[in-house]
Amino acid sequence: MPSERELEISPIVQESLIHNSRTLYNLQSLTASLFGISAGILGLESYSGFLFYLIFSLLTAVLFYLVRVAPSSLAAGKSPLDTSRYFRGPFEFWAGGLMNGLAGFILTWTLLYGLVRA
Amino acid sequence: MAQVPVQTIHRDPQLFYWILFPITIVMILTGVLRHYATVLMASAPKKLDRKTMREQRALLHGINVRGNYHVLSKPSFTARRDALITAYESGAYLKDPDARGQPPPNPMSDPSAMEGMMGMMKNQMAMIIPNTLIMSWVNAFFSGYVIMKLPFPLTVKFKSMLQAGVATKDMDPRWMSSISWYFLCIFGLQSVFNFLLGSDNAANQMAQQMTQMGPQAGQMFGPGIDPNKQFLAEAENLAVIEHHSVLDGVEQRLLEAVKV
Repeated sequence: MPSERELEISPIVQESLIHNSRTLYNLQSLTASLFGISAGILGLESYSGFLFYLIFSLLTAVLFYLVRVAPSSLAAGKSPLDTSRYFRGPFEFWAGGLMNGLAGFILTWTLLYGLVRA
Repeated sequence: MAQVPVQTIHRDPQLFYWILFPITIVMILTGVLRHYATVLMASAPKKLDRKTMREQRALLHGINVRGNYHVLSKPSFTARRDALITAYESGAYLKDPDARGQPPPNPMSDPSAMEGMMGMMKNQMAMIIPNTLIMSWVNAFFSGYVIMKLPFPLTVKFKSMLQAGVATKDMDPRWMSSISWYFLCIFGLQSVFNFLLGSDNAANQMAQQMTQMGPQAGQMFGPGIDPNKQFLAEAENLAVIEHHSVLDGVEQRLLEAVKV
C-alpha cells in the first residue's frame, strides 16, 4: 500500500477508479452469461460446469489484462501482472468476476441446459 | 454403494412455451418497467433557499479544506483556517443564528423531512409491489409444475425450496418447479439488465438494496441534525490539523528523480 505521503504527491482520482471498476463489472457479468449459454449448450453437468466457469472467467481476466491493462501498465514501469495502475486491488481484478457473474452464469446455464438436454 | 439411477421425467415440451418463457419475459419486462418508473418518479432536487445553501456550502468548504490542506501553502492554509474557525464558532453561517443552542425541531414536523421519507417510501413500494404481484401470479397460475432440471446436484435440504408445491417424496432435488425458476430469475437477471439498460440501472431490487445499505451522502444535512454542532465539530477538526505541504522537500525529490 502506498503511504499517505505518496498519495498526496500523486493522488488517486476516485471517479476514474469507479469508472474502471464499473467497466470491469459490465464485462464480467456479460461474459458470465455467455459462458452460461455455452455451458448449457455443451450440456455440462455439476463439477465440469463450474470448472468451465472458473477457467473461462480467469481466462477473461487474463485477456483483459493483456489487451487493456498491460500495454500502459508495463510502460509505466509496473511489474507484470500488476494491476494497481487502474484497479484498487489484485483480488478485485482477478477474482471479482467469479462472484459478480455467478448468478447470471447459473441462470443461463440452467435455462440452456433445460432447453437443450432435459 | 449402489448407483442411484438417473431419474427421467417425461414432460410436455409445451411447458417451455407456456411457463418458462412467460415467466422470464415478464421478469425482464418488469425490470425494464421498474427502471423507467424509478427514472420518472425521481423527484428533482428541491430548491434550497439562500440561507440553507450557505449553511451547507460553508460546512462543505470546511471539510474540503481539511481534506486537501496539503496542496495549500502554510500562510494560505492558516488564513483559511482562522477565518473558518472564527465564522464557525460565532455562528456566522447559520441559517437562523437565534436558534443556537436550542434542541433541534422534531423531524416529523418538518415538511422537507416528510418529502425525503416519501421518496424513500416510493422506492420501497416500487420494489415490493411488483415482487408480490409476480410471485402471487406465478403461484396462482404455474404452481405444481416441474419444468426443469438443474445442471448440478443439490442436497435434500433444497427440496422444499426448489420444489414448492410439488409434494413428491422421492424426486431428485435437481428438478425444479416454476417458483424456483422465478427466484433464479430474481438473482440472475442483473447481467441482462446491465446489458439492456446500462450499468447504473434501477431494474434489479437486489442491487438497490446493496446501495441502500451503504453510507448515504445525503444524510449529512438531514433533518434533526443541529448544524451548530456540526460547525463546532468541524472547527475542532480544523484546529488540530498539523500542516504540511506537498511541496515540502520538492527540490530534493526532483534531484533524486533527475539523477545526472
